[in-house]
Amino acid sequence: MSDISIQFTLNGVGRQVVVPANMLLVDFLRDNEQLKGAKIGCSRGVCGSCTVLIDGTPVAACSTFAFQADGRSVFTVEGLARGGALDPVQQAFIDNAAFQCGYCTSGMILMTKALLAENKAPDRATIVEWLSSNVCRCTGYAQIIAAVEDAARRLREAER
Amino acid sequence: MNAPLAVVGAQVPRKDAADKVSGQAEYAVDVALPGMLHAKVLRSSHAHALIKRLDVSKARQAPGVRAVLTHADIPAHFIPVYGYFIKDQPIVAVDRVRYVGDIVCAIAADSEAEAAAALSLIEVDYEDLTTSTTIESALAEDADNLFPAIPFGVMPTYGQGASGKMWPQKNVCYEFDYRTGDASAFARCDHVFEDEFRFSRMHHYHLEPFAAVANARADRIEVWASNQNPFPLRKELARIFKVSESSVTVHVGMVGAGFGSKNNCKAEPVAVMLSMLTRRPVRFCLTMEESALTNTQHAAILRLKTGVMKDGTLIARQSEILLDAGAYTDASPLVAEKAGYRIPGPYRWQYVDTRCLCVMTNTAPAGPFRGFGGTQATWASESQLDMIARRLGIDPYDIRVKNLLKLGEPFQPGDSGIDSDLKEGLDLVCQHIGYREPRKPLRGKGISIGCKDGGGVKKAAQARVRILTNGDAILNFASVEMGQGIRTAMTQVVAEILRLPHGRVTAPSINTDHVPFDEGTNASSGIAVMGRAVEGAARSARLRVLEFATEQLKCDIGELDLDNGFIVQGTGPNAQRHPLGPMVMGFYGGPGFEFTADGFYMPPVDHRAPLESPCVFWEIGWGAAEVEVDPGTGLVKVLKLVASGDTGRSINPLVCKGQEDGAAVQGYGQALFERMIYNERGELLNIDPLIYRVPLAEDLPAEFVTITQQQGHGPGPFGSKGAGEGTILPVASAIANAIEDAVGVRITELPITPERVLEALERKAAAGRYQDKVRDRSRSVTSVSPRGETGQ
Repeated sequence: MSDISIQFTLNGVGRQVVVPANMLLVDFLRDNEQLKGAKIGCSRGVCGSCTVLIDGTPVAACSTFAFQADGRSVFTVEGLARGGALDPVQQAFIDNAAFQCGYCTSGMILMTKALLAENKAPDRATIVEWLSSNVCRCTGYAQIIAAVEDAARRLREAER
Repeated sequence: MNAPLAVVGAQVPRKDAADKVSGQAEYAVDVALPGMLHAKVLRSSHAHALIKRLDVSKARQAPGVRAVLTHADIPAHFIPVYGYFIKDQPIVAVDRVRYVGDIVCAIAADSEAEAAAALSLIEVDYEDLTTSTTIESALAEDADNLFPAIPFGVMPTYGQGASGKMWPQKNVCYEFDYRTGDASAFARCDHVFEDEFRFSRMHHYHLEPFAAVANARADRIEVWASNQNPFPLRKELARIFKVSESSVTVHVGMVGAGFGSKNNCKAEPVAVMLSMLTRRPVRFCLTMEESALTNTQHAAILRLKTGVMKDGTLIARQSEILLDAGAYTDASPLVAEKAGYRIPGPYRWQYVDTRCLCVMTNTAPAGPFRGFGGTQATWASESQLDMIARRLGIDPYDIRVKNLLKLGEPFQPGDSGIDSDLKEGLDLVCQHIGYREPRKPLRGKGISIGCKDGGGVKKAAQARVRILTNGDAILNFASVEMGQGIRTAMTQVVAEILRLPHGRVTAPSINTDHVPFDEGTNASSGIAVMGRAVEGAARSARLRVLEFATEQLKCDIGELDLDNGFIVQGTGPNAQRHPLGPMVMGFYGGPGFEFTADGFYMPPVDHRAPLESPCVFWEIGWGAAEVEVDPGTGLVKVLKLVASGDTGRSINPLVCKGQEDGAAVQGYGQALFERMIYNERGELLNIDPLIYRVPLAEDLPAEFVTITQQQGHGPGPFGSKGAGEGTILPVASAIANAIEDAVGVRITELPITPERVLEALERKAAAGRYQDKVRDRSRSVTSVSPRGETGQ
């Protein structure tokens, strides 16, 4: 398998690396970069545990090749808390107990980041539609939906 | 301690919160050791076959391969079979395979990809045996025996009225029986009804797959596991690999959910054996498909014969429950015991006779699943109760209230009293569903009550609390954090007793060399069993600090209290606050000291109790549903779902609510669409995560309400009870009951698919046409007995 040289930003930092052409993005992040927040659940792009943002768009890192990051910006959950302060979405997940086992949480949080970047005041139906790309087997979703509503409110208030 | 509670009941953040929202929480799948190899296994494509030839020679030569594990590679003095009670599941196949997915052999290689590539070089010749993929076919006379040689096992022991038998007949690994009262009770009944119910099996669908990293060195086996029961795992590994239990270390970090499945051995034995062969650390991480092939819920057939008086008084119940145990026994005997014992429900009876069989089939092994036999039992019992009420012309609410056990009334003779006011909870969900409101066309409302004995049986738990120099505390205990918030709740209990802010109490992750023994994290036993050990440890540790302070201050212990790291002497405005740190260092010196105390709890053994120990607490789930049925398509829309449990007292309210939400939604998936589908060749047809469907956010009922009751009768710290399983119990039957209320048809098989509803509606329409004809043609047919009625 041939190797490919790629250039991209990872959580805001420029990176230049050589990856095997068939390496999955989730394996690159977990094994090469030690960024283990992206989790492998179903390996089919269904459960959303491996969700990361590429140029702000949520993608399933288990169904994306690492070389597809070339020339783009990749953002993982580890990039959220800067200087120790949690992102308002992370804080809203904590305050609403929007996770249990935590395995889906990185993906849920990044999905929420993407949603709120596009829509500052999503209604409940919109939130449900977005969250329905990710599976949570523990919570029954109610507290995750509440956390997204809370995060949207916090972000709007912070902007005022 | 008459002060109002400060930390218990407060909405403090979860202990694992910061790690889990920032991707830092460490699960078994994240563990990586230097020089670590990766394992893959060859799984059988045949459901039941003898292995005539197994050739791994090409695989041994493949790039990156470090070891190939076949049965012949296991040292003869090992005992390479495992199981909860019956040791029947081989690490790799011996001479036969028993289901599609059974492990034939395993490979360790430098990478997972190389291990996977080498699997394709393995040659296997099979000679097929008769395949039994259903309960009925496995019990048929001509079915091939899955276990021609009976595997060895240990029997659970029982008290009054209960008994068990291992391998009572071909392809039945276990039978549980329970009997109480006088069989003649049936003869006194006005009506006896017989009905059959079917329960499909779900995949646990824990997002973190089964995973283990093993490092077998010359003198020690070390394992990082995604496992609910670290100490039983340690014992099982020591037994299999013939080493002393003290030379096995099990580490458990965060677990990406289990729902019961992560018990006993799963990925661990293969990882350990490959590590022994290679003298390298080995990681064995299953895929989600492989997880579905490793452990599932029990499908079931439940036959109930129930005798009642015409006013709705319940008299006698006889039941036969057949559980599909799959190809290996796993925890099936225990599930049989629970399904059998729970089938009477929380009602008063004069006679109960229950028989539950675990039937071995050529399908994936079934094991513990949230609700643990109670889900199956509640589906049948609460469905039949509604059917009986309707046949007698009694309101389903009234028949329940008439027969419900009262607070404190024993579940069965010799067992503990019910510790929830059942009617209070029923009234609550009825009020939220608007049970008394008039029904709109094609809409109906249904109710249900699930009840399970909680806390396990004779389960021993220990905990250790360490109070450090300046009053900070460490809690060492082995309850596994798999999402339920146990490490948060327990540190809240310690913080409350030591009067510390929650942030000053920590609970390090589990290493069996350093935490006190615990039987495992199951049966909702955390707060009601381990909680009492934790409470005891915290109170004893506090006492040790006060005893030390008494000597330092030369005063009576009654004058002293501990508060936020201060020794408080006296009360009121004249109280003196002595910081603990300087006092400790003044006596022990600069390095300080730790005051350590252990706590222990084990429910008493009492042979009068059917399960040999009175149930620790009763976990109740009340449910109510409103549905709308589309008669054209059979589609059932759940307009509102109400589910409620009783935590006694919520140590952490949002964590408790999350548990009730999650359990109810799992029950909702079970009710409407989740099931594992097998074909006659034993192939699991919907194993791919693209096809197997679990509830998504968009699947939630239009209105979804969970209510955490805190009735205050629990045996745990501060009146708490276990939680997390109750609200899965009533959901399916509440929905089925609502459907009959809406359109007059009864669905007796899960899941309640549109096809089944449509079929039932068509049957009803046809029966209506037939009955019209009967009435028209002949006056001599006086009455058609109610469906299901058999006597009197």
